[in-house]
Amino acid sequence: MRRLMGFLTVAMAWAPSYLPAQTPARSNAEPSAKSAFPRAADGKPDLTGVWQGGSTARGSWEEANGGTGVGGTGKNPNAPAVLSASDRPATAEKAPYQAWAAQKVLESYKLRGIDDPSAQCLPPGLPRTSVLGLFPTQIVQTPQQIVFLYEYMHEFRVVPLNAKHRDDLAPTYMGDSVGHWEGDTLVVDVTGFNDKTWLVGTGTFHSEALHVTERYTRVDKDQINYDITLEDPNVLTKPWIIHTNLMLREGTRLEEYVCAENNLAPAFYERLQKNNVNFQRP
Amino acid sequence: MMKGRGRWVVTAFAAMGLLAIPAAAHHSFGAEYDANKPVTLSGTVTKIEWTNPHSYFYLDVKDDKGNVANWKFEGYGPGVLYRNGWKRGISMKPGDSITVTGWRARDGTNWAHARQVTLASGEKMLFGPPAGTGDGGAAPPVEVK
Repeated sequence: MRRLMGFLTVAMAWAPSYLPAQTPARSNAEPSAKSAFPRAADGKPDLTGVWQGGSTARGSWEEANGGTGVGGTGKNPNAPAVLSASDRPATAEKAPYQAWAAQKVLESYKLRGIDDPSAQCLPPGLPRTSVLGLFPTQIVQTPQQIVFLYEYMHEFRVVPLNAKHRDDLAPTYMGDSVGHWEGDTLVVDVTGFNDKTWLVGTGTFHSEALHVTERYTRVDKDQINYDITLEDPNVLTKPWIIHTNLMLREGTRLEEYVCAENNLAPAFYERLQKNNVNFQRP
Repeated sequence: MMKGRGRWVVTAFAAMGLLAIPAAAHHSFGAEYDANKPVTLSGTVTKIEWTNPHSYFYLDVKDDKGNVANWKFEGYGPGVLYRNGWKRGISMKPGDSITVTGWRARDGTNWAHARQVTLASGEKMLFGPPAGTGDGGAAPPVEVK
């Protein structure tokens, strides 16, 4: 009995990262009239609101996820799942890793449950945190700074506008962000990362040289085009470009997410490994 | 309560379309659970853990000889379940008779990934993500030259 109970407590756990799945390609809708989305007092597009990544479906969270839309979390078992922390947006090109680095990615994949930083409840980094669909993101905009609040792992980013990166940068999981407006596009420059996070998708490691450039363009009331450029000359052969979306989810509130509460993932994978249960895919 | 594994009522439910696994996208689900081992079980809920990063519920299941075993099912964390329409302490409680479909763990013990739960009321709700989605079950998106 005791053995069995121990077994049960060790049991499963996907990486706290829920994996996503198919993401519809971005719609090719042209930016709407400027009046189609709200603007802040300073005339800039107002990005304030609660958003869902990796989706093209409009409507409330329930409407967008409960039916035949991006689905997967709603009541339709056949709807595709939403983007989780182990997935990359479908619209992302293949990661252009250098040969040695690609091998390392594959190695991490084989031990993904153990090597995954998020399986340890550590901050997921960027853009892994910001392209998620399973958990919402709240944006709070002021003329001086823009704040991103992520339900997943309780992460946040405070992005000062028209500011320089601090000159005493120490490597961090979420990096140091500064932003500015280029017309109606918010451009956020992020640097100062440590090398302990994954970019998007299983095993996609990077070095401390990672430089992330994000472009947020609200094209209408419901949609922000979210374009990401990842540069890391230490591991990539060229910039890795990702185009994805954030969709407005009016009425959705961020919920509590205390990852360390009952995280069984590491113990589970270690047990599988110890017992020679093959959890590696060829 | 736990008298061994017995012969559990394990039924495939391809007819429900739950095995329509996208070829190009897999869930890291694949590391822990086996999409080739679908399971449908009916029983009595004994405990529910509404916890992050994932929730769990436990189900007493009788086999055809009357032996009872306690199964553990994993699913979404509380925030995701809330957005899916689950109401903690209301939708499903210990003592409720339910049916759950999902996939068994790779080591073949009495635990599984829960997908669809048919509640005592007859309402069907999703407790966890589908099988076979996400990069976790597929090769990483790298170019190996």
